[in-house]
Amino acid sequence: MEAIKPKNLEEVLEYKSKYKGDAKIIAGGTDLIIKIRKGEENPKALIDISSLNELKGIRETLEYIEIGPATTFTEICECILLNKNLKGLKDAARSVGSPQIRNRGTVGGNICNASPAADTVPPLLALDSILVIEGKGKKREIYLKDFFKDKGRGELEGDEILTKIKFKNPLKNQGLGFYKLGLRKALAISRLSFAVFLEIDEMNRIEIVRIASGAIGKFPMRELEVEEYLTGRIINENTIEEAETLLERVIFERLKGRQTAKFKSIAAKGVFKKALLNALYLCKGVNDFEKN
Amino acid sequence: MKKRGKGIACIFYGTGYGNGFPDVSRAYARLLEDGRVEISVGATEVGQGAKTVMVQIAAETLGLLDKDIVLINEDTSKTPDAGTAAASRQTYNTGNAVKIACENLKEKILEDAAKLLGVNTKVGLCMKDGLIYVKSYPSKKVSLKEIAELNKDLQAEGVFTAHTTQMDENGQGAPYWPYTFASCAVEVEVDTETGEVSILRAKHVLDVGRAVNPSLVEGQIDGGFAMGVGYALMEDIGLKDGKMTNGSFEKYIIPTALDIPEIEKVLIEYPEDTAPYGAKGIGEPVMIPVAPAILNAIYDAIGVRFYEIPVTPERVLLALQSKG
Repeated sequence: MEAIKPKNLEEVLEYKSKYKGDAKIIAGGTDLIIKIRKGEENPKALIDISSLNELKGIRETLEYIEIGPATTFTEICECILLNKNLKGLKDAARSVGSPQIRNRGTVGGNICNASPAADTVPPLLALDSILVIEGKGKKREIYLKDFFKDKGRGELEGDEILTKIKFKNPLKNQGLGFYKLGLRKALAISRLSFAVFLEIDEMNRIEIVRIASGAIGKFPMRELEVEEYLTGRIINENTIEEAETLLERVIFERLKGRQTAKFKSIAAKGVFKKALLNALYLCKGVNDFEKN
Repeated sequence: MKKRGKGIACIFYGTGYGNGFPDVSRAYARLLEDGRVEISVGATEVGQGAKTVMVQIAAETLGLLDKDIVLINEDTSKTPDAGTAAASRQTYNTGNAVKIACENLKEKILEDAAKLLGVNTKVGLCMKDGLIYVKSYPSKKVSLKEIAELNKDLQAEGVFTAHTTQMDENGQGAPYWPYTFASCAVEVEVDTETGEVSILRAKHVLDVGRAVNPSLVEGQIDGGFAMGVGYALMEDIGLKDGKMTNGSFEKYIIPTALDIPEIEKVLIEYPEDTAPYGAKGIGEPVMIPVAPAILNAIYDAIGVRFYEIPVTPERVLLALQSKG
């Protein structure tokens, strides 16, 4: 296996166009190295992008936040550009593995490996993120929600790599909430997660809601039926309960026949509600509905 | 909604192999030329503190400091058999063997000392800090080093055979001695919407006989408590058609520090007559009451009695659902 350390993005794309699918991009290696050791992956070449500044870091450009794919989870947790309304993204990054994994693992890897349980994908979906994908002499943009094709497979050609993730910086009355159900409080693989992006007006009417689930289907996805139900409604205990019931039904249908269908559809209600209340709290600065 | 509950569980546990299984520990003690004492014993250190405890028991018996004891263990070419580091038996069983070996060595040393000091009996001789002296005439003394120089072959064996009697065909009898007692209390919080169980606080009371090393006992309580939490709430080998489906720590979940609360610890020291300085085995007893205390607390919180562990979020939610 050949290891290549390009000096810049141009070289990366050059190598990618030469090797295509035979070369794997390596950044943190927290997934790839394990797969190579297990014999599940055996690429001819590894292209190391971990020290390319062009692909790292978080920037603010006009109304967008742009994240380089080689940005680590730790860098996301600690980034001051990500304001408090984006707490859900930081919470998700903080819930990834252990400190060692967060120091190595990258958000680009989280997206491109397309695991159903990828922690940072639901918040990025709820933010309606756009992916910038480049190959030698070509560049395109695709919504993250359209990226996933199957478990472990995103829409990426052999000669392409992900070069940027971007989403609109939330306004004051917008917020991103996240909640993950794992089997323990740290170093837990997600059994179920939800991210909710919310915008409400002064009357508590939902202007925008985007809901994304993790570890339920083949890949993280938007819950469009529930979004549709909630949009335009006044948020209160009733609407939340109705949304939960609808969500339970949708998820039970999706997982029908699977052993976990009943559990996941019930748990989804609770996990969704927590993510929603977290988002609401960020919009309003108060939490009217949590009765704990 | 988050619901809280409290639970208590009490246990007693017979340490050692018990039930008729032969349970013998052996140790050698030898006076070295420089006046230090070498203890050879097959006790295995598996993190529980055997190396520390055996040295402490030897030092106490010989009136020496820990640094004057040279411990040889885990080397079967040099050490006599002291049985396994299992059944919570090393401190009590092998500790006894070490103590007996040291007492036997001490007798031999005192016999030599009596001769050297010109007294007619070892009665009234004291041994402390590497010196043997006449109690009523302390300036009449000889050092262990001086004795070692004159007698290069001072060594002794200690053998301890634990009580272990097979039960009769009705399961009656006295299989073990001694027994260690423990009780554990926990407060839990159950999230009825996600099924998560959090342990908010815990108290652990342990009858240790005597804490040879209190920090080690507290460490054992921390570890045993964490194991009990894993047992109650997380750990599942996922047996399917005789095969483990959770065969790695990726899927076989054990607790992390974040899952474990601060544990208030109470050590009850009621010395056991047959034990080395009263110390009983505590390795397994610290863990046993934890899972039942947690299950009792969950019952107190949500009114569901679980008969199957681990109590995962899945089991909690499904049980709450069928309870209605």
